[in-house]
Order: sequence, then structure tokens, then C-alpha cells
Amino acid sequence: MDILIGSLVAGVLIGMILALVALGLTIIFGVMDIVNFAHGEFLMIGMYTGLLTAQATGIDPLLTLPVAAMVGFLLGVICYYGFIKYLVRGPMVAQLLGTFGLMLFLRNLALLIFGSEDQALHRGILIGKSFDLGMGVIVPATKLAAALLSVIAFLAIWLLMNRTKTGKALTATALNARGARYMGIPTDRMNALAWGIGGASVTMAGALLVNFWSVNPFVGILFTMIAFAIVALGGFGSVPGAFFAGLVVGMIMEIPGIWDFLTYALNWDWMANVPMTSLKYTFVYLAYFIIMVLRPRGLFGWKR
Amino acid sequence: METLKSAFDFSDFPRLDISIAGIIAIFLLVFPLFSHSAFAMATMIQFLMFSVYGMGWNTIGGYGGQVDLGKAQYVGIGAYTTAVLLIRWNIPFWFSMPLGVCLAMAWSFIIGYPLFRLKGHYFAIATIATSLVLMDLFSVWEFVGAARGLEISPIKYHYPDFWRLIFKKDIYYYYVILGFFFVGILYVNGFRRSRLGFQLRSIRDNEEMASSLGINVHWAKIKTYAIATAFVSVVGSFHACYIKNIEPQDTMGLDLSILIALMAMLGGAGSLWGPIIGAAVLIPLKSYLKAWLGGAAGLAGIDLVIYAVIIMLISALEPRGIWGIVEKVRRRRWQ
Repeated sequence: MDILIGSLVAGVLIGMILALVALGLTIIFGVMDIVNFAHGEFLMIGMYTGLLTAQATGIDPLLTLPVAAMVGFLLGVICYYGFIKYLVRGPMVAQLLGTFGLMLFLRNLALLIFGSEDQALHRGILIGKSFDLGMGVIVPATKLAAALLSVIAFLAIWLLMNRTKTGKALTATALNARGARYMGIPTDRMNALAWGIGGASVTMAGALLVNFWSVNPFVGILFTMIAFAIVALGGFGSVPGAFFAGLVVGMIMEIPGIWDFLTYALNWDWMANVPMTSLKYTFVYLAYFIIMVLRPRGLFGWKR
Repeated sequence: METLKSAFDFSDFPRLDISIAGIIAIFLLVFPLFSHSAFAMATMIQFLMFSVYGMGWNTIGGYGGQVDLGKAQYVGIGAYTTAVLLIRWNIPFWFSMPLGVCLAMAWSFIIGYPLFRLKGHYFAIATIATSLVLMDLFSVWEFVGAARGLEISPIKYHYPDFWRLIFKKDIYYYYVILGFFFVGILYVNGFRRSRLGFQLRSIRDNEEMASSLGINVHWAKIKTYAIATAFVSVVGSFHACYIKNIEPQDTMGLDLSILIALMAMLGGAGSLWGPIIGAAVLIPLKSYLKAWLGGAAGLAGIDLVIYAVIIMLISALEPRGIWGIVEKVRRRRWQ
């Protein structure tokens, strides 16, 4: 039983962070109808930002969040004005491959600068500590703190999107760009803002993730695919959808743990021979495929 | 007979194009007779392989406008079929290759049916997802060597073995893949003026219009997807015999899928020569950049950075690729 509860708790915690990862993708998609393949690379940059800031200044890695947010915002805005703005004029094929080019560029630039080794944080107030929730369930403190901070960041962005004038202008641009332009909303600046907020949210998630996840330049594509699965499940362009879908995908990633529990509980030998841990992410890809085919709008989607 | 004639009929191209293509064809035929380095030979074989990959992608991605980013899974199916049959039961290439094509096409029908309910971005990401699922499954499947992959050890065979396609010299491989290359060009040339080719272009331009004209859009896409799959799977089988060492990551990974799509895009999707031009530009660039820059200490990745910049520039400035530029220049001259 403790294996099962442990897996579920771990799933919820990782799901909260994944929701923040997917939030950026869904905002950008909602406002601009463009799929950003470089999303995971933004996360990778966030992870490096968190790591290097913590190492350089000696502050706790959890406090590097504002720095990561700044870097992410700038990165998003620079990408928009420098590249995406020109890309959206072309057909969809060009958009897809263009953001792929951006992904390759960021990834290999990171490889050039940071090298290909795995890097992880070793110092920090919470690193190495853990809470015992009883019944043998132990939660690492870093994961718990990262999950809580990610929920706070998520809420802040949700408030920004729903309770401010800028957020309303963003939503208007998402619903009807031409109409918004007639109403005097600077849609070009709104697109840049969407990229900025999207970038900031994902780099914050990266800075949180680096507390318990080692980083290398190739970490991005995995999270890009996870984010796609979450956004597909939650509905492209839906912010609350991203949160709940994040939790669900977090659970899907814990299927190997649940499988372990079932193996133990049912005591069937063949189940122990299935290499479940190597198929951890396969379920996420499979989930994307099944969700898209069965319900293309996702659970909360409003955009077709 | 009629279809065969249409495959050899290049009369709708300008005479200049045909003469340039002829010169290039003759150059490709006689290239190995001149003295060349092993590196140049390997690059040429890579170029031909990726041209055929690109031609396959071009049928569905270029003429059909369906951006498929999961072609590598069929490379993997072809490569694994050939390698497994050769290693386990000593079945020659020329039997295992058609079998691989059949398996790949069967798989393409199975996943193509649900896939083509999706459009645009959703379709593109879903193709990546299916490809990654298959790659993960092959990485844990013990029968095909799991993550270690399979290795065809050439010691067991007598050189040159035309049945099993095991050669010591690259020149034999070169002529085999060159044969596939020419067959591929002729097929695509026939395809683009076949009934299906016209149907597909009308689907790309306006799907609702196409279906209102009585075209079965879903079925036309699935059929073309299977054709594209066959191209890719054949070269996948060839890849197994040529490289002799196949791993899930190399043969089915995302990078390969992207490269295939990119080549056709860069050259000009939806034109006969596009994928070939794209491969002719990107493959030498990639291998020479890697040889010059990647080898230098501390510069790992710089070749791919330059590569990525080219992709970004092309997609932002001239989305229709190099062939698009050529056509633009031509149109300007006529006016």
C-alpha cells in the first residue's frame, strides 16, 4: 500500500510542476496558434539559470525563481521579435520547422557552452531532507517545496491573465486577433507578451525542477513531449485545463510505481519481468496519441 | 503501360531543367570511377539515401501538405526486418526488403487511420508521438536486441554478396542506392501526374473543396502515407545492410524524422527536384561541418548550431525552399 500512496503523491507533486511547464505552451498556442517545439529548450535554459545562479551567488536554489523568470521573459520576447514574428507570415510547414530550428539552435548552443555532462545541485537548505507522511510514505522536501512554489506561480499567472487589463487584452487577441486590432489593442505587442509570459513560466518551472532533476543540454525534448501531452489533454489554449491535465500526466508518469504495487499485491511473476521503468515516458506519448484521436479538443478546450 | 510511360515523361519541365538533371544523372553514374576519398563516397551514399527518404516524405508532406514528423519509425521497421531476418534465418536482402515494406505499410495503415483524423499541428505532433512509442518499445524488446540494437557481423559472408548486400567496398552500395534513387525519381514523376497526385494537391490547397468534389480525403491521405512509408522502409533496409549496426536511437529517433522532413522542406516541398536539392545542400554541409568543426576540441555542437541557423533563416525568409527561390527568379525573368 505504501508503494501505491507513495507513487500517487509523487505523481501529484511532479504533476504540479509539469502543469507550470505546460502553461507557457498553452498560452503561446492560445494567443498565436503556433506550436513551439523549442519549449523544452526554454525549460532547459531555466534549469541552467537556476543551477548557475545558485552556484554563483550561493543563495538557495529555490530563491532563484525571479532570476529565472526574468531570463525566461527576455528569452521569449527576444525570440518573438527576432524570429517568430517573421515565421508566422509563412505557411504552417515553415512554422513547425522554424521552431524546430530554434530548438536545435538553443540545444546545441547550450551544448557548446555547458558541455554534455549531467549537472545537478548539491547544496541547498532543503536538499537531502524529507518529510515522513506516515505509512512509510516519504516525500523529499525539495519536491514538495518546488510543487508548492509552482502552484503559486501558476496562480499568479492565472490572475495576471484573468484579473488585469493586460490579461484581458491577451485573451481578446487569442479569441480574434483582427477584432482585437480594430479595438486598438496592439496585437503585435500582445504576441510578444504571450511569448514573454510563456517563456517566464517555463523557465520558472525549470528552476524548480533543477532542485531534484539533473540537467544536460538534451533534457528538453522529453519535456516538450510531456508538455504537448498535457496541453492536448487539457485542451489547446486552456489555462485551467493545463493544471488538471498536468496532474493527470504526473500520474501517468507514475504508472511504473503503480505497476510495482500491482505486481506486489497480485503476486504474478510475469508482471515483474516487464521493464516498466524504461517505458515510463512511453505512456505519456501514448496518452497524447489516444487523447488527440478520441477527443481532439481536450478536456477543457475551447479552440478547434 | 500508360503509367510506366508517364513515369518517363519529363516533357512538362523546361528544357534547361532536363539538361541539368541529365548532366547530374551522368555525373552520379560516373562519380565512383574518378578517384575519390572514402569520406566523399560515404557522403554521396548518405546524400542518395536522404534523397530517397525526402522523395518519400515529399509525396505526403509536399504534395499532400501533411507534415509528417514520424518517418523514422518506418526506417526502423525496414532496418529491423532486414537485420533480424538476416541474422536469425539468413534470409537475403532482396526477400527481406519487400517483407519490410509490407510490414511498414501494414503499420502505416493501422496508425494512419486514426492519425489522419487530425490536422495541421496536431497531426505533426501525433506522428512524433507514435514514432517515439515505437522507438521505446524497440528499446525494451529483447528479441531485437533491446537498447543495444543489432549488429550484422560481415565476417560470416563472402564478399561481395549481392543477395545479402554485404560488400567490403562502398562502390557496390553506391550503385545499389543509386538504382533506388532513379527508380524513386521515376515513381514520383509518375505519381505527381497520377489521379492520386492531383487529388492530393487539391487536398493540400483546400480540403473542404476537395471533399465536395467527391474525393475521399481520408483514404487518399492514407494511401499516400503508405506510399511514403514504402520509400522510407526500402532505404531503411538498405541502411541495415550498409551501416551493419542498428540501434533504436539512430534508426528510429526523432532527429532522423526531422532531418527527413527538413531536407524536403529546404529544397522545396511539393516539387520533384526539391528533396534532392535539399539533400544535396544539407548532407555535405552536415558531414563537412562536422568533420571540420566538430572534431576541434571544445566545439562539439557548433556544426548543429550553424545548421539550425540555416533552418531558421530558410523557414522565416523563404518558406518554399530553394526551389521556391528558383521559381521566383524565373517568374521575374518571364515578365
